Amino acid sequence: MPPRKTSRPPPYAARNNSTLPIPPALKNLLRRDKLRLVVVGILGFLTVLWLLGRTGNDGGSAAQKATTPVPKIPKVAIGSGPPVVIVTVIDGKADPTWAAKIKKNREDYAKKHGYLTFFPTNTQYPTGTSPLSWSKVPALRHAMTLFPGSTYFWFLDSTALIMNQALDLQSHLLAPAKLEKLMIVNEPVVPPDSVIKTFGNLKGDRIDFIVTQDKEGLTATSMVVRNGEWAKYFLDAWFDPIYRSYNFQRAEIHALEHIVQWHGTILAKLALVPQNLLNAYGSGPAHAKYGTFKEGDLVANFPACARDNKCADEMKPFFDILDGKSTGSN
Amino acid sequence: MSRSPSPRPGGWSSPGLNTAYDSGGRNSPFANGGSQNVTWAAAQARSAEVKGYPGFAPRNQGFLGRHFRKISTSLPFSYGEKEKLGRGRYQGNKFVQILNRIAWNLWRLRKILGPVLLILLTYTLFYVTPLHRVYRRSSWFGGGNKFVIILAANQGGGVMEWKGPREWAIERDSVKNKKKYTQKWGYDLEIVDMSTKKRYAHEWRESWEKVDTIRNAMRKYPHAEWFWWLDTNTFIMEPTYSLQKHIFNSLNAVTYRDINVFNPLNITHPLTEEYLDVETRSPIGDGKVDSINMLVPQDCSGFNLGSFFVRRSVWTDRLLDIWWDPVGYEQKHMEWEHKEQDALEYMYKNQPWIRPHVAFLHQRKINSFPPGACGDKGDDPHIHYKEKDRDFLVNMAGCEWGRDCWAEMYNYRQLSNRLNRNPWEKLKDWISDSIKQHKAMRNTNKEEKKG
Repeated sequence: MPPRKTSRPPPYAARNNSTLPIPPALKNLLRRDKLRLVVVGILGFLTVLWLLGRTGNDGGSAAQKATTPVPKIPKVAIGSGPPVVIVTVIDGKADPTWAAKIKKNREDYAKKHGYLTFFPTNTQYPTGTSPLSWSKVPALRHAMTLFPGSTYFWFLDSTALIMNQALDLQSHLLAPAKLEKLMIVNEPVVPPDSVIKTFGNLKGDRIDFIVTQDKEGLTATSMVVRNGEWAKYFLDAWFDPIYRSYNFQRAEIHALEHIVQWHGTILAKLALVPQNLLNAYGSGPAHAKYGTFKEGDLVANFPACARDNKCADEMKPFFDILDGKSTGSN
Repeated sequence: MSRSPSPRPGGWSSPGLNTAYDSGGRNSPFANGGSQNVTWAAAQARSAEVKGYPGFAPRNQGFLGRHFRKISTSLPFSYGEKEKLGRGRYQGNKFVQILNRIAWNLWRLRKILGPVLLILLTYTLFYVTPLHRVYRRSSWFGGGNKFVIILAANQGGGVMEWKGPREWAIERDSVKNKKKYTQKWGYDLEIVDMSTKKRYAHEWRESWEKVDTIRNAMRKYPHAEWFWWLDTNTFIMEPTYSLQKHIFNSLNAVTYRDINVFNPLNITHPLTEEYLDVETRSPIGDGKVDSINMLVPQDCSGFNLGSFFVRRSVWTDRLLDIWWDPVGYEQKHMEWEHKEQDALEYMYKNQPWIRPHVAFLHQRKINSFPPGACGDKGDDPHIHYKEKDRDFLVNMAGCEWGRDCWAEMYNYRQLSNRLNRNPWEKLKDWISDSIKQHKAMRNTNKEEKKG
């Protein structure tokens, strides 16, 4: 016999005695007419996820599948360190007192403006059988390795002296706006009549390589390279053994002129500036218009002195001026 | 109301009785509006006028006349049917009944079947119309417009060599193969004429056009990212592999950047000079996918540029610029018999900036060799095509030096077709094959019995 129905029905329907307490909001959702909406919503959401997954696929999931461990390369932002590093390659066989004076000249200047200096020797790089003057190229690359946070790397040959210690290289030349005004456009790269001329429509902030021209052509005794991927490309291409073994008459200088003229990606990053701004000559084949050293120029260079081994003699009057100045100012 | 005709001639007409008896088959007597004054006698006389015909014309002549009712009642939408339902009367034959029931059931299930049919229809429409190509090409969905295949045609032809019918056939096959593949996946195909041009002949740089060609393609397809160079003597064996799925979705997993994994040239790697930065000295660059700008396979003798990828990037721009250099050419052109291939190897060895951005692909991923190239046996698991593994592409490298290019191309084309049959073709082939086999068995059995 079934149990008798009570004659007093409860005022409300009995609670559903399921073990899982379902909140009424969810119960409402699960009602049939709304169920369809929910299912469509879920499907739509999954579709969106799938589409997003597809577009983000190329980078994300592939990186996870990498088989080889990713090496830890310290990421130093360019520009986070001192702005300029002065690089001078010292001849190991040179007179040590003279070398010390050269170093001091750079160090004084660097200290004054918050720059750094780097003095490698010319034999520490694998130049092989090619002339030791090639060592400036790996030296620059080496400086970039050691000071990855710096922006500009100024190679200044040991035959040159910084004469105007007060002149800040960055504001005087390297600032993009300033550089854009100073650079010489549409100038034959190799004087007097090379067909290849410097580009006319370059922006100052796109320049990675600042160089000057003397009477004979480009100079590689005082130049500025900006840190970055392009610098690696440029320096490595320049240092290619194929050029070192080619017996260019003036070794790395001719090699430089060669790659600048044959490769547009190098010329497009090059700015030619008046010689006296970066590399005025105290003696030697200076540029006719603005090559010879005058009072107030940043640098006095004696490009031929090393070959004749009389740098100390040639530089003596200039050292005297410098010493007088520094004692005078103190 | 009396249905008898009027006793008086010329009296009122009596509809339904005094017209000619069903002269027009199923004509309704009411339609005969003109004959108001028809009498019995007149009608008799008129029917007698029709010579040769009996006075009685049978009704329901002709097929429709005879079967119309049967057909109309058996039609599923007949309204008469409803009336008859369940009265045990005739309901059409069995077959029609079954059809009827199926149709009724389908109609009942229309809410479920409708969407299914719609999905099937859209699916077929998607693949029958060029819609799927648009989908695969779009950068948002398929991303096919990121890839360009550069196919070198006419290699070494032009002023240097005359092309015979075989060469034409090879070229035609090769082009057709790539066209089909690029169309299928929404890639672009750039066919370039590599015939030795005067322009290069006087500049001492015959067959160095690869660089200029890639540059032109980069200019022509400004939205593409990866450029795949292919020589003429190549054949895509598996057109169902998309480049994305085959290589680029898992670029880090399918490539190796440390050349020591497979190093036929014995290149010293990684570089150790202390003046180089950490990334350049690292065996795998920075190890990130984004820094890969070039994908090169290696065969038994080093890099192989018969099939390789470059990515549009500043790095690639620099590489293409520095690749050909007159000083290098002057010193090495006697030594570099593979021209840009040797030049690239040389640069990889000597210019450190290149290494962190080159990744190597296993040869058989994009550039399997047939037997005859890199060993006559064709059993090197690194290099030679294997049917079982369904290698992607065959490069008949060096077939012009003493091997039969056309025969190789033909064989691989046939093989590719056979491997990529659809299920229907497979079934047909299976049947014909088994019949043939059966016959052959029988013949051998007979011969055995005879012997």
